[in-house]
Amino acid sequence: MKFTSRPTAVVIGLTLAAAALAGCSEEASGGGGGGSEAGACAPEDVTLVGQVRNESNPYEASWLDGGDAFAEQVGLSQERLTYDGDSTKQQEQITQLLAGDTECLVMNVLPNGDSDTLPIVEGAEEAGAYLVTQWNKPADVNVTDYDQWLSHITYDGVDSGQQIGDALAEAIGGSGGIIALQGILDTGAAKDRFAGLEASLEANPDVELLDQQTANFSRDEALAVTKTLLTKHGEDIKGIWAANDDMALGALAALEQAGRDDVAVVGIDAVPDALTAIEDGTMTATVSSDGPWQGGIGLAIGYCVATGELSVDDIADEDRAWFAEQFLITSDNVADFKAPEVDESDFECGNLFSRSQGAIQ
Amino acid sequence: MTSPAQADTEDVIAPRPQPRRGVSLRDAGPPIALVVIVGIFAVLSSDFRTIGNVQNIMDAAAVLAVAACGISFVLMMGSIDLSVPGVMGASAIAVALLVANNRNDNTMGLLGVLVAVLLGAALGCLSGIALVSLKVPSFMTTLGVSAVGLGVATLMFAGVQPNITDEMLRGWAVNRFLGLAYLTWIAMACVLVGWLIQRYSRLGRYAYAIGGAEEVLALSGVKVAPYKVAVFTLAGSFYGLAGVMVTSQLGAGLVQAGAGYDFRAITAAVVGGTLLTGGRGGVLHSAVGVLLVTVLINGLVQIGVSPYWQGGVQGLIVVAAVSAAVIPQRRRNQVTK
Repeated sequence: MKFTSRPTAVVIGLTLAAAALAGCSEEASGGGGGGSEAGACAPEDVTLVGQVRNESNPYEASWLDGGDAFAEQVGLSQERLTYDGDSTKQQEQITQLLAGDTECLVMNVLPNGDSDTLPIVEGAEEAGAYLVTQWNKPADVNVTDYDQWLSHITYDGVDSGQQIGDALAEAIGGSGGIIALQGILDTGAAKDRFAGLEASLEANPDVELLDQQTANFSRDEALAVTKTLLTKHGEDIKGIWAANDDMALGALAALEQAGRDDVAVVGIDAVPDALTAIEDGTMTATVSSDGPWQGGIGLAIGYCVATGELSVDDIADEDRAWFAEQFLITSDNVADFKAPEVDESDFECGNLFSRSQGAIQ
Repeated sequence: MTSPAQADTEDVIAPRPQPRRGVSLRDAGPPIALVVIVGIFAVLSSDFRTIGNVQNIMDAAAVLAVAACGISFVLMMGSIDLSVPGVMGASAIAVALLVANNRNDNTMGLLGVLVAVLLGAALGCLSGIALVSLKVPSFMTTLGVSAVGLGVATLMFAGVQPNITDEMLRGWAVNRFLGLAYLTWIAMACVLVGWLIQRYSRLGRYAYAIGGAEEVLALSGVKVAPYKVAVFTLAGSFYGLAGVMVTSQLGAGLVQAGAGYDFRAITAAVVGGTLLTGGRGGVLHSAVGVLLVTVLINGLVQIGVSPYWQGGVQGLIVVAAVSAAVIPQRRRNQVTK
């Protein structure tokens, strides 16, 4: 006598297979009927695609919402793609998109990692799709070597690390001990942000870095590490610098459990929980890259070029790979960022690069 | 009471370890390693040997201990379980949405915790049924179930982080009894319950037997499949509780609540002397393994090892500890079946 009958096995097998397939499936691109030449698409023929890791991340979900807002502004709709932080899946989605009608295809892409950028760029170049990438790009690849890769936008991690470092120093009155929670140590973001903290420490000589540990950008790990550091340094800790908001929130939970409410905490990313914590006064500061703007601007650049309002040759070299402006959020201005909205004027073809803080060196 | 009764019990219990004579000596390896490592750190760091830090280590070990408790049963059986991240994620979000929170008006309290644990049990049951009915290796089925769990969690997450306002659940992480957080006591209760199940229930004994020699058990007329499903279900409920505990600690339900706990739990179990081939080890071994791993992480921070070195140093010590523990059994030390 068997425990399960064959039909049961079949049903379970099919269910699991269906779940797996559903996870992998993605809609093929619709594709407009099309202009024949680059830069000569009718506005209604443009296809807009936004691709991020996943919508369970509030920041990336707000990115796609910004893309929708821009699409609505020009009377189109955005195709929302997510690849669950899986590089292979991202490449498959791109390949599938580029296999369709690519004449007037505009893609605003968040590559999973530096190494994922080049295959996407080369695919777009070959297929003639308009591409804007954000955050991740290998340093030795130049956007100006390509015609279809219109722009690459990222943020200066050194600057954000320094901004929150300075805000932390100010919050603890300019002197005292702090601890730092680093991100995944071999990522550019973690290195740059920590370099920013070091620059801030130089400018604030009375602030002492008691300890620095990695919590891998994770809220859960930050909780454990912070508790350990609290037992190690005790009352000497006046502030906690975290390389992202998730770790800052983990540190806040650790402080609560230790019964400490005299420690200032700063982070980066402006996730909703961090904004709430800033509003409540439990957290001091964070930095926002403005996700909705990121979701809109990439599509806007592509749209302007696709419709011929802007020519690739007219985009200055320093606007092909650039640092965008980021915003320090404290209790003073947190209300403005609680419900982020896109500003239509940011996406006008003459105004696309107004947030540039300079070219990426 | 009376000496005849005592003699009786001894008569029954004494023969049991007989077939595995010498096991107790070998099993002493991990606890000795734990004592040695604690001793070394205590000498090297005055911060390490404080009462506060001991409390901190116990508190930090709580979630991993509960997850390791569950995975011990699966490993004892000679299977492997990679569904921990998915199950913990699903139950973490579920409990956050069922108790008082900022997303909806639910205030189910303890009942919500129970539902979340049952959700974990259901996902574990799914792993088990897929394993016995499809005859797919357990690491594939559990990997699939992990994806299912993460999918369920993502659906429930729906873009907005659920933060809990439930006083009871938040209190578990904050309030202390005899110096330890309630969560730590819950973890200790889990280890005790797990040990009782392993030692005294048919389920626990059969799990051992399946790991030791499944064919013999089947030939002797035992229907193995239901016990396998039951073991995965039991493990799933432990992961479910672990997910609830993470939510309690962080004050919020996270899809990634269980990220990394699969390999951390397996590492802890193996370091504690549970074999991946099954048939040896158990809940208490894993508990020792959990303490070893937690002490290691804590101690390296306390003595001030640079974070750039910690990952590598931790790995080396774990490999050294495991190889020391398994040298006597290295002929059995294959990966998994």
